[in-house]
Amino acid sequence: MNGSIALMICMFLFAGTAFAGKLEPVGPVPVPSANPQTPEKIELGKKLFFDRRLSGDGTMSCSTCHDPAQGYSDGLAISLSYPTTRNWRNSPTLVNVGFQKFLFHDGRAHTLEEQALFPMMSAFEMNQNLDFAEEEIRSVPEYVESFRKVFGGEVTRERMAMAISAFQRTLVSVDSPLDRFLQGEKKALTAEARKGYDIFMGKGKCSECHDGVNLADDRFYALNVPENAEQEKDPRVAATRRFVAKVSHYEDYQNLAEDPGRFLVTRDRTDWKAFRTPTLREIAKTGPYMHNGIFETLEQVIDFFDQGGGKGNSVLKPLKLSAAEKKALVTFMIEALSGKEVPFRYPKLP
Amino acid sequence: MAAGPTVKKIMEIYKGKVRLVIKNYPYKYRDYSRGAAEASLAAREQGKYWEMHDLLIKRSPKLERASLLAYAKELGLDVQKFTASIDGQKFKAEIDRDLKLAESLDLYNTPTFYINGRQVIGERPFEYFRKIIDEELKK
Repeated sequence: MNGSIALMICMFLFAGTAFAGKLEPVGPVPVPSANPQTPEKIELGKKLFFDRRLSGDGTMSCSTCHDPAQGYSDGLAISLSYPTTRNWRNSPTLVNVGFQKFLFHDGRAHTLEEQALFPMMSAFEMNQNLDFAEEEIRSVPEYVESFRKVFGGEVTRERMAMAISAFQRTLVSVDSPLDRFLQGEKKALTAEARKGYDIFMGKGKCSECHDGVNLADDRFYALNVPENAEQEKDPRVAATRRFVAKVSHYEDYQNLAEDPGRFLVTRDRTDWKAFRTPTLREIAKTGPYMHNGIFETLEQVIDFFDQGGGKGNSVLKPLKLSAAEKKALVTFMIEALSGKEVPFRYPKLP
Repeated sequence: MAAGPTVKKIMEIYKGKVRLVIKNYPYKYRDYSRGAAEASLAAREQGKYWEMHDLLIKRSPKLERASLLAYAKELGLDVQKFTASIDGQKFKAEIDRDLKLAESLDLYNTPTFYINGRQVIGERPFEYFRKIIDEELKK
C-alpha cells in the first residue's frame, strides 16, 4: 500500500477548539461481515502478500515496500518502486491498518479490500495486469486448492484482495507501555515517557489529531510539509505525479508541480496538499516521516510542529516547547508506542 | 546503481574497514541492461570501472551499442579492445554467475546490499548505512 500521508505528530491549534482527544488501548480489530477472518484465509493472504507473482515482472510483492523487519514500511523517504520507475510518496506502515477508515496518504480507498488491488495495478508499484495475475495464481495448484477451501470457489482478484486484507488485519501493535498505562498500570511508563505523555495530551496538543486506538483521527490536514527537493530533481518522480493526476482526471495534470494530496480525491480546494493523519503506533520503526519522507527523525518532525508547521499553513501555530519537553515527547513516542516484539513467521510460497 | 555516490562515501569514510564487492544484476526486461554490464566490466579491465559506471548512470537510458562505444572513447579507453570485449560478451560467464547467485538468494531488486549478511534493499542515505556498518564493526 503506497500512498501518502503527512505524519502529524502533534499539536493542532484550531481556533476555538480546546479539548484533547482521548487515547484508547488496542482492542479487537474491526472485521467486515463480508470478509470474516479464518486461519486459512489469513495464511493464504500472507502467502499472497509475499508473492512476487503479483507484480508484472516478478520482482515486487506487497512485502517489498511493507517489510515486517522495517515496521511494515521500507525505511525509505520515498517508497521503493517498480524497476525503472520512481514512486512519489513514503510507504505508510501497515501496523494497525485494520483500524483505519481511510487508506493511502490521500485516503482514496475506504477498505483494505478496495485498497489491495491499487498497488498491484499501479504502473510505478507492482505494475501487474489483474486479469493476468488471476491466471498466474490459477496456474499454481496449491493456490487453487487454498482458494477452494477458503472461499469455496476459484481464484478471483476480489478474493485475492480479501485474503490479503485478512492477513493485514492481523498486523497489530500489541501490549505497548501506553496500552498498559491506559489500562491502569500506572508504572507502565518511565518517568521521562510520562512527562512526554503529559505534553502529548496537553501543551503539545498532539492528541487533538492523534487520538483513539490508533492515535489518528482519520482526517486530512494541509500542513504545508516542505517538498522533498532531492526527489523533485528526478524527472521520473514528476512523471509519476503527472500520471497519478492524469488517471485521477485532473485537467491540468501536465503542469502539476507539487503533490496535491487529498485534492485529487475530493476536488475540494481546502484539501489541496492535505494528507491523512497517520497512526503513531510503532513510530520508532516507521521513519522517515511525512507523506514524502522529508524528515528522517522524530526530532525533526517535532521541530516542524513546534514551529507551527509549513509556510503559509492555516492549521498549526507555534507551540514554544522547550528542549526538555521535546525530548520527553520523543521518549514517549519511542518507548510508550512500541509494542511487544512478536517474531514474524515468513510463509513458504507455493 | 544510482547509489554510487553513497557507496563511494562509505568507502572513503570507512577506508580500510570495509571491503566492497560488486555483483551485476542486469534487469531482465531492459534491452540494454546486459550490454551495460558488459561495458562496465570491459572498462574495469582497462582500469576505469567507476568512470564507466558513473557515465552509464548519468547517460541512461542511452545505453545502446553506439553510445557505449562513444562512452569508451570519451573515457580514453582502448576502443578497439573495448569493442571486442562487449561484442564478444567477454564477461558473460561472470555476469551469468552473478545472476545465478542473486536468484539463489531470492533477490529481485536493484540495488540490494549485503553488509555482513544483513540485507538492505534500495537506495538509502549514508546515515542508514552508517548505523548498520557501525553496529557490524563493533561485533
